[in-house]
Amino acid sequence: MPKLGTSIRITSALAAVALLAIVVVGAANAKPARQATTLNGAGSTLIAPAIAVWGPAYAKATGVEINYSGIGSGGGIAAITAKTVDFGASDAPLNPSQAAACSDCVQIPWALSATVPTYNIPGLHSAQLRLDGPTLADIFLGKITNWSDPAIKKLNPGVPLPNLAITPAHRSDGSGDTYAFTDYLSHISSTWASQVGNATSVNWPVGVGGKGNPGVAAIIASTPGSIGYISVAYVKQNHLDWTRMKNASGNYTLATAPAIESAAQLVKTVPADNKMSIVDPPASPKYRNAWPLSTFTYVIVHKSSAQADALRKFIFWALTPKAQKLINNSFLVFAPIPKVVLVAAEKTLTQVH
Amino acid sequence: MASIDATNDATRRPFEGRRVHLGDVLLKGVAGAAAAGGVALVGLIAWKVIDGARPSIAKYGIAFVWHIAWNPVPGHEIYGAASFLFGTAITSFFALLLAAPLAMGIALFLTELAPRGLQALVTALVEMLAAVPSVVIGLWGILVLGPQLRIHIEPWLHSALGFIPLFGPPSAAGASIFTAVIVLAIMILPIVSSISRELFLGVPHELKEGALALGTTRWEMIRGVVFPYARGGIAAALILGLGRAMGEAIAVTQVIGGGVFIHWSLFSQGDTLASKIAAEYQGATSNLDVASLIYLGVILLALSLVANIAAQYIVRSVARKHGVTRGGHA
Repeated sequence: MPKLGTSIRITSALAAVALLAIVVVGAANAKPARQATTLNGAGSTLIAPAIAVWGPAYAKATGVEINYSGIGSGGGIAAITAKTVDFGASDAPLNPSQAAACSDCVQIPWALSATVPTYNIPGLHSAQLRLDGPTLADIFLGKITNWSDPAIKKLNPGVPLPNLAITPAHRSDGSGDTYAFTDYLSHISSTWASQVGNATSVNWPVGVGGKGNPGVAAIIASTPGSIGYISVAYVKQNHLDWTRMKNASGNYTLATAPAIESAAQLVKTVPADNKMSIVDPPASPKYRNAWPLSTFTYVIVHKSSAQADALRKFIFWALTPKAQKLINNSFLVFAPIPKVVLVAAEKTLTQVH
Repeated sequence: MASIDATNDATRRPFEGRRVHLGDVLLKGVAGAAAAGGVALVGLIAWKVIDGARPSIAKYGIAFVWHIAWNPVPGHEIYGAASFLFGTAITSFFALLLAAPLAMGIALFLTELAPRGLQALVTALVEMLAAVPSVVIGLWGILVLGPQLRIHIEPWLHSALGFIPLFGPPSAAGASIFTAVIVLAIMILPIVSSISRELFLGVPHELKEGALALGTTRWEMIRGVVFPYARGGIAAALILGLGRAMGEAIAVTQVIGGGVFIHWSLFSQGDTLASKIAAEYQGATSNLDVASLIYLGVILLALSLVANIAAQYIVRSVARKHGVTRGGHA
């Protein structure tokens, strides 16, 4: 059939010319292979609001885009170990086996925040509930099951606590908030330390699991009688009810920036691997207003990588007073990093090149 | 009289004494490569998954399957699949139990009972249910469905049927196996109903009209002609739905609450194989943790394989009983 043959030939010729044109134009416009215009990171949801502020500011200053996904501290550690991101963010420092797996990695503390027990009790408003460490541990161990329990009543004289079952809520994903919370409970309660332990993901005796800070917040919002732990920036932004915790000095404090900063004074010298725990500061006039569930949060990078130079510049910028000031406000509640930690962070940063 | 079936004639020798057509060769080559690729892909996935689970298989062996444990804390690490296997079994079974009659009802309505104009509309709407992403259904489940079940349905079921262990005390937060069952039923409804609808449409008119002509009622006709004819296909559709329910991860992990135990109450929390993998894989802390999660995947893969083989067996045996051979009729 000559007609069909001719039209097919013409179509094929046109297609070949078009393809050739695309290839030529594309090759002419090709950019050089690896421009450091984007840094990819993943991990902690606690630092995510800070990076949401840092990213645009840094891009405006230097043109380098920061691309971040909040998948939880456990996910951040896994991602940087597998080198699927340029930097990982985690509120939990690397444990020995993780440090061995990510052998070329350093962890640098770049912000200071806290986790907050958050509740939904009908009739109680925010900051009205008072709890202490042993009671909180007993709630999450399943030993205290009702809000009208005498142990809770004793801490809250005059507060109308309803006869309502307690539903503890926790994170189902690998979370730095879980790490800080279980770190505190392990310090407070030897039962917790031996039965459950301290990690980004634990085997909870009781309670409902939610995915990410939003998942836990959804459970608390829709379940009367629930209590969970959420990072402080999230609590403030979403107007959730936060608890007054009794610290070791006997005072009931809220997770404000000065209270968190006070807890961070616990650090006298920073160990070589930058691993610090500032939960449950001891009884002392210096820590009389300290918030007992404070935590540093870390950025984890490989010492040498294709993006090492760009990463060092970004982290150095994040540690400067100007960048820290961007996140030290009543909305985000990241407290200023103590001088000794800042010095150690910058010293570790020199290893990245 | 035997019909001449040139495509299947066993005596035809394709290239004997004829010029080889490039088109035929290409067709055979490309189609054959695609088929081989499909088989190779399944084999590769199975091999990679078993390979990834090796540290956990080496440590626990087959005992992993009936061990109730899951603790990822360094120093206390221990892993076992029993509670998740139970969760998968119970959620899939009850989801199918809930969805099957509903799907049959929808299919029957659309093929036998609905006025012509309504058919198209209802069909489109039911199939649109399949287009809703799992994440969205999970979100709806924990924010809307869960509280409604917790406040209204579960207390009523517990007070009416509480003597049955299945209906224990209502859940605390609306996150429970029951919520997961309802979410899964909603997700497998479109598949089962659309396949059933196609099957019922394929029942020969002569058989249906013959039954009606003999004086049967509509229901007797459906029960006596439509169901037996479509029996094998319905079984396959149900098992397809079961496979979907077993593998659903994201929607289930948002509504099931989590927990490493086996409780018989539908209103307690729980976890399934797929949902545990979805929740923990990204943040897994150690090699053994990752390997154990992949081991859960191996078990899930094995379950899906068994379900698929069962479906094929049922379809084949029913087809054989009917005397229906490939390419002809009885």
